[in-house]
Amino acid sequence: MNKEYIIVAFTENQVGVLNRITIAYLRRKINIESLKVSETSMKGISMFVISAFTTEETIQKLTRAIRNIVEVIQVSYYTSDELITQEIALYKISSKFFGEGGRIDAISRELGARMIEISPGYVVMEKTGTREEIEQLRDRLERQGVLLEFTRSGSVVLHRDSLDNILGLESGEEE
Amino acid sequence: MANKIKISGSDALILSLIAEGTDVMFGYPGGQVIPLYDRLYDYKDRIRHILTRHEQGAAHAAQGYARATGKVGVCVSTSGPGATNLLTGIADAMLDSTPMVCITGQVPSAILGTDAFQEADIISMSMPITKWNYQVTTASEIASAVAKAFYIARSGRPGPVLIDITKNAQVEEVDFTYRPCTGLRSYNPKPKMNGSAAEVVELVNAAKRPLILAGQGVKLAGAEKALVEFAEIGNIPVATTLMGISAIPNSHPLFVGNLGMHGNVAPNEMSQAADLLIAIGMRFSDRVTGAINAYAPNAKIVHVDIDPAELGKNLRCDVPIHADALEALEAFKIGLKHVDRDEWFAFAKEKAEEEKHNVKGFCGEACNGFITMSQVIQKLAEVEEGDAVIVTDVGQNQMFSARYSKFNATRSFITSGGLGTMGFGLPAAMGAKVGVPQREVVAILGDGGFQMTMQELGTIMQNKIGVKILVLNNSYLGMVRQWQELFFNSRYSFTELENPDFAKIASAYDIPAKRIIKPEELEGALREMKEAKGSYFLEVAVLPQENVFPMIPAGASLSNMLMSND
Repeated sequence: MNKEYIIVAFTENQVGVLNRITIAYLRRKINIESLKVSETSMKGISMFVISAFTTEETIQKLTRAIRNIVEVIQVSYYTSDELITQEIALYKISSKFFGEGGRIDAISRELGARMIEISPGYVVMEKTGTREEIEQLRDRLERQGVLLEFTRSGSVVLHRDSLDNILGLESGEEE
Repeated sequence: MANKIKISGSDALILSLIAEGTDVMFGYPGGQVIPLYDRLYDYKDRIRHILTRHEQGAAHAAQGYARATGKVGVCVSTSGPGATNLLTGIADAMLDSTPMVCITGQVPSAILGTDAFQEADIISMSMPITKWNYQVTTASEIASAVAKAFYIARSGRPGPVLIDITKNAQVEEVDFTYRPCTGLRSYNPKPKMNGSAAEVVELVNAAKRPLILAGQGVKLAGAEKALVEFAEIGNIPVATTLMGISAIPNSHPLFVGNLGMHGNVAPNEMSQAADLLIAIGMRFSDRVTGAINAYAPNAKIVHVDIDPAELGKNLRCDVPIHADALEALEAFKIGLKHVDRDEWFAFAKEKAEEEKHNVKGFCGEACNGFITMSQVIQKLAEVEEGDAVIVTDVGQNQMFSARYSKFNATRSFITSGGLGTMGFGLPAAMGAKVGVPQREVVAILGDGGFQMTMQELGTIMQNKIGVKILVLNNSYLGMVRQWQELFFNSRYSFTELENPDFAKIASAYDIPAKRIIKPEELEGALREMKEAKGSYFLEVAVLPQENVFPMIPAGASLSNMLMSND
């Protein structure tokens, strides 16, 4: 059964690692829904968070294939409820949504969002939350016909465990 | 090696290769490696460079060298087309776990990405078919890149790596020191054995119908002796995969034959009847299992591999053992009991008899005076007495060679197993002969595959490589012809070849050559080939209609073997 799986990989921060990892998806014709790469709190070690819809059997094999890449230190797969996951989204909202001046602060509090920029024609809001929360606000603004533009970060995740424990090379098989 | 000297990047590269034990490299110069070749000129006494006639030939030669010797094969090309011509050999080495270091030239780093003359993004192109690759853009990176390349190529599950070196890095000066790579924090090629040997031994002791499936991993781990000891102590029959052939001598009483699509009846039927399969350094390829859902229905599966991604990849696995084959086999001997398995061995014998009875060469007496491919290989096995290194091309020539060749020693059967690369045979045989010059090396080729890389006859001539070349000429792309006959209503769509006089071509390269067509000429010609001091070319015109049997049609279960055309 197809389901969203998130692969979290820790790698050497080197040229080409991103390609090698995405090739593992490409050769199995799996579309990547979102992908985030950045350096961790440990210098020289990058963290990849990749989400894709596939089966558990495929994600297991994919995880092993990614583990075999020379620069990959550790890799695991998760379902979305197993990680501390947040996304950041930016919403460009038409000014007409806010009506007369003075209500923007109140509305942004009500939406659980933060005001980033105000222009004569629009207001940019930022919201951090789970994918569902981000989607709910997007739906609401779209229904009202006031959402001008929208962008999101993809999942930003944290392990519940410490990075030292995760990367500890003594810890046997990780999958 | 620790004393610092200031030298060019090209010198640094050559000294690094020498430090890694490279004594031969196969290559082809071009614009972006001229500085390297210029320096190579001064190292002729320390590295033998063999100029091939095509970069693909260089890659396959490096593979043949690696497979025959166990050392890392090295090949070199220029940028652009030189580099892309290596790709087939690299892909082949990736699938067949062959340790190889490929060095490509690249345009100067200042103009990377500008579509410069002969620029190709070989790093991206080779990424899915290399174990690791790296672009060097300054001379100071060369020594560490080479050290890493060799370490990665030869450790764990071996494979090809590629180093792309920009021209400026070849000419810049650098303080050179060489330190071999001994480990990388992100890469653990030889893990401590993970899995329970005791559990395996218990299963083996209790099994009534166990079968060992030995793959190339046995050779790569140097575990041939341990394999035989394990089999002998436990009294367990051994079958080999195509890539595992020669890991155990054919004459060994526990050897029951080869697995797979054109393998022997006994080991395939035994896979289906077994209660325990002990797979060592093999990957349950579709050519071995046939229909995976119908494969080994009664067996528990013990799977030993150094690559954890193989465990459970194609087939369910009851006891995964992530380990080096040698370490695992040594551990399996502890507590192992000799169990009489008379019924099981009787079954093996019965199936072998069945094969002998049902698969009678092609048309027995009625071949209208034609020589058959099966006759040639059987006769060759008799003449060579199991001591030759057999290097095959791909197709019927390969399957007949696998079926009928005999081997006394390991690393004696070199073939393109995973990728099935036509054109592999001749250059790979050339590389093998360079690697083991004291051994007899015979390339067995079809007329199709020979013509894909036959320009390497020039390399054989120029470098006096004493490889024996046997072309089985049926004027067809025989394996495709066989499928067309059996599964496509004998519609021979574009498989017939009109061939030149091959012996004349070989003679033009100053290689003694002969063509035979009559069965009574066969033995004499093979003996003449064997006795030849240097290279020798023998073309045998064979029956065009001969098919390889037994055969398990693609996607069918191992239980549905075809024994003949009917």
